Amino acid sequence: MDANKETTAELGFWDQHRFLILIGLAITIALVLVSISMALYSSSGAIQLDLSRPGYKTTSQTTTDESGFIDYPTSGKLDNKAISDFKTLYDAQAAKAKAVDAFGGDPLNPDTLDISAPQTN
Amino acid sequence: MLNSRRLITLGLFTAVLSSLILLTHVSADDSTMTDAQIVRIKASCINVKNSLGQLRVNDALLRVNRGQVYESMTSKLMTPFNSRVDSNNLNSKDLVSITNNYNTAFATFSTDYQAYAEQLSTALDINCQNEPVGFYDAVANARTKRSQVHADVLVLHQYIDDYATTFGTFVSDNQQTIGVGK
Repeated sequence: MDANKETTAELGFWDQHRFLILIGLAITIALVLVSISMALYSSSGAIQLDLSRPGYKTTSQTTTDESGFIDYPTSGKLDNKAISDFKTLYDAQAAKAKAVDAFGGDPLNPDTLDISAPQTN
Repeated sequence: MLNSRRLITLGLFTAVLSSLILLTHVSADDSTMTDAQIVRIKASCINVKNSLGQLRVNDALLRVNRGQVYESMTSKLMTPFNSRVDSNNLNSKDLVSITNNYNTAFATFSTDYQAYAEQLSTALDINCQNEPVGFYDAVANARTKRSQVHADVLVLHQYIDDYATTFGTFVSDNQQTIGVGK
């Protein structure tokens, strides 16, 4: 018993608290890694594409399924049929891509937002 | 010694002149906003913020959906076709060039959208009751950035058309090899 007490007394500060230090270090490392990943998430622009963010969840259900896009085979003979298939595929998808005038219009126009200077008569 | 004095004088003169020009510009901007307009911004503050919030959500969805379509054009059609042309030992230089331009334009679109989305968030973070002028400027800035995103979209559409045209030229140039029309 006495021998145990003596051993404890001989242990230094770091030895006595090594379990707490381990937990503290683990938490610190986790915080640093999370901070780095959040910074990357934000700076890479991934945040803009993440529709699972709060406020965007209802929107994420209306994302369109792009399974209509068929992968064109990268290998094979380039014959009349291959050209014809590609043309059909490309024309259809090009029409789909150009169908929407994305970011057109002017919703941020001060007149639209009703923040322009009032007309004076 | 004389030269360094002249340089310092010239530097000071330029600095003063630049400051004056900047001040004139800033005051010109301020003078465009009347008290009535400031009152109007404060009055419609909540409605405008709601509209901007809705726009942010709609544009995010648009970005995701259109981004998928634009990315698929290159990853599922253009690039595989270029590889196939190349593997058949035919000249794919022009097609590859347009695909590269398209990819660059898509990267620009992504960057510009990011800048726009961040600017819109900045505008939404501004308290328009306390800072109506700052809010107005932030919205105006977001408007400019959004129109840039629209310009990027038009460039992408143009490259889609260019690829189709080049594809047509490629087919007519290689009729013998491919056997088109037989």
